[in-house]
Amino acid sequence: MNETFICGDYEALVSYLYDECAPNERRAISGHVAICSDCAEELVALGATREQLAMWTPPDAQLGFRIVSDAPRSNVLRPLRWWRQPMPAWAQAAAAAVIFTTGVTLGVMRGADRGPARPALLQTNASNSSVTKSDLVALEQRLRSEMSQPHLAPTSVAATPADARIFQQVRTMIDESEQRQRRELALRTTEMVRDFDAQRNDDLMRIERTLGQMDGTTGVEVAQQRQMLNYLMRVSQRGQ
Amino acid sequence: MTFTDDELVARSVGGDAESFNQLILRWERPIYALAYRVIGREEDARDVCQETFLRAFRALPGFKGQAKFSSWLYRIALNLCRDWIRRQRRAPVMQMPEGVEAGELIAEAGPIESIEDLVSRRQLSEVVAEAMKLLPEEQRTAIILKEYHGMTFQEIADMQGCPLSTVKTRLYQGLTVLRRHLEKNGQLTPQLVNRS
Repeated sequence: MNETFICGDYEALVSYLYDECAPNERRAISGHVAICSDCAEELVALGATREQLAMWTPPDAQLGFRIVSDAPRSNVLRPLRWWRQPMPAWAQAAAAAVIFTTGVTLGVMRGADRGPARPALLQTNASNSSVTKSDLVALEQRLRSEMSQPHLAPTSVAATPADARIFQQVRTMIDESEQRQRRELALRTTEMVRDFDAQRNDDLMRIERTLGQMDGTTGVEVAQQRQMLNYLMRVSQRGQ
Repeated sequence: MTFTDDELVARSVGGDAESFNQLILRWERPIYALAYRVIGREEDARDVCQETFLRAFRALPGFKGQAKFSSWLYRIALNLCRDWIRRQRRAPVMQMPEGVEAGELIAEAGPIESIEDLVSRRQLSEVVAEAMKLLPEEQRTAIILKEYHGMTFQEIADMQGCPLSTVKTRLYQGLTVLRRHLEKNGQLTPQLVNRS
């Protein structure tokens, strides 16, 4: 460090002011300040400014932050992805009808090749080898009636083995869909309960904080009145 | 038993959230004070304080102890303050009351401090806050870190990413502006030095 100090070296002066300079530099500045009134006044003024800065205090704030858990990422319910959303009943029925129609069509095509093993259900359509709209409506109604009687055994349905297999597949799909919906519902319910609890805890904390502030305010008002009374008494005594 | 910051950090990294809560308890006041003095708004300072600890908690596994934990926290807080100032795109506004609230004054009064002294101290605090608004952000931050958080020149230089000499210049220029403002408002009188 420098053994001598030159007027106007404010960096060195700041180091001296905050007592962050080497001993020899400090000695040099002290020696200079003893004979230079400008630098001495500068130091005194800067020191006085620092004293005034100490008066600046931030307002008292309610802090008390805590890490509660790292799990909840958001309290906001997020919309489900389109492929996870529950399918409406009409869409399920339409999907079942499409699958059924496809199955019937495939069966007809294979049955036409085999000849005698043609299913009875399709015999009325054998002339044009296609499924009419009225057939589809009838099948859909049958499907609906079966779906509305879930406890009936599959053997009670009067249908061919191919129909029964297709019915079974459709029923399986519907069962799986219902299970998915139930799982989804349970998941959403759990999320809602968790978010509700988190929000309730947050509200309770806020209420407690507000009550604490009100208590503090009341105490301050009492203290204020007492202090004012003391002050007035002192002033009146001084006046006498 | 009192743990050091480093010990609490190690325990927090190991999954002990309670240790991190102790770190919060230890450092939330200084971080709040820093944020308040830099951005000048009580509510926003609380938000910055909270966000600082949240970010620190999330980034804790990446904290390798290359700096002091407190310096790391200060750096996060200052970055958040800087972001806040950029977002505001205006000079920070100090939330100082227009009039002097007697209740607040008495609440902070010491046992032997008279009301006159208290009013005077409060007014001075307001004048200092007003004067700090005049400073550019770098000077204000340097003064805050030095005066209220006791950092060394080198620590401030590391924090602000500038040379040591720049920190000293910022401090000197900032103090000079404050001094003039205080003198203008009658809070500081030029003193003659007794050189006997």
